[in-house]
Amino acid sequence: MEMTTVELKIPCQVEYIGVARLVILGVASRTLFSYDEIEDMRLAVGEACTSAIDRAASSGKPDSEITLSCRMGDDRLVIQVSDNIPLAAGAEPAPATADAGTEAGAEEDQGIGALLMEILVDEIQQDTRTGPGTSITMTKYIGR
Amino acid sequence: MPGMFMATMEFKLSCRPVEDGITVIDLRGEVDAFTAPQVKQEMINQIEGGSTKLAVNLADVKYLDSTGLGVLIGGLKRTRDKEGELVLICPNVRIMRIFEITGLSRIFEMFQTEQEALTKLKG
Repeated sequence: MEMTTVELKIPCQVEYIGVARLVILGVASRTLFSYDEIEDMRLAVGEACTSAIDRAASSGKPDSEITLSCRMGDDRLVIQVSDNIPLAAGAEPAPATADAGTEAGAEEDQGIGALLMEILVDEIQQDTRTGPGTSITMTKYIGR
Repeated sequence: MPGMFMATMEFKLSCRPVEDGITVIDLRGEVDAFTAPQVKQEMINQIEGGSTKLAVNLADVKYLDSTGLGVLIGGLKRTRDKEGELVLICPNVRIMRIFEITGLSRIFEMFQTEQEALTKLKG
């Protein structure tokens, strides 16, 4: 299946999460996704970015980067949110966003971000082995 | 910084004291990890200033993420610690869905209108 790709690289900082969400809006608007489906993807991507920013802050690597890659197919949108935040040697990969609260929410939002990502997209995969950091790949199918 | 302007122009927070101890916090735009700290700080300010009954108005909120939810949960805990309460005004179906899928609609008292929320707080 032929897929068109749009990529964006942003600093690992909270003020740029909105930019990532705008890109999802722009990309998904070129497909047949409904408004609600697009909003679901915007929220899932926002959560993935927030997770990366939390890990960057807790790893002492606030100058890290997030790469957003959107691949559009006829029936799906595949979004990969990857970062270059190195895992501590010997560390087990932590589930997305369940490991640390953000500065804003402190401890109260633990696990909610990961839960939202699971619910809002059709498929989600987290990988810490193929890149320098963590990669979250989310797939949403049109009309599913 | 252009990116910062883009993100902040979508968010606005204002407070309306209704009567002694009761305040409505109106939120507008996008509540995320960038803007939620302002909400958290305002709730702390209100509670420490004696307004322990808060109605957070989400009617004009277009986006709410886990950080925003976390701040609201924190506000709920803080008001209860002071024997107050925090209720939500949430007529927006899209925002309501986020509370439902996370199970938080069972934790918060949520109302369609400000009048209903204030009746609860005054009661």
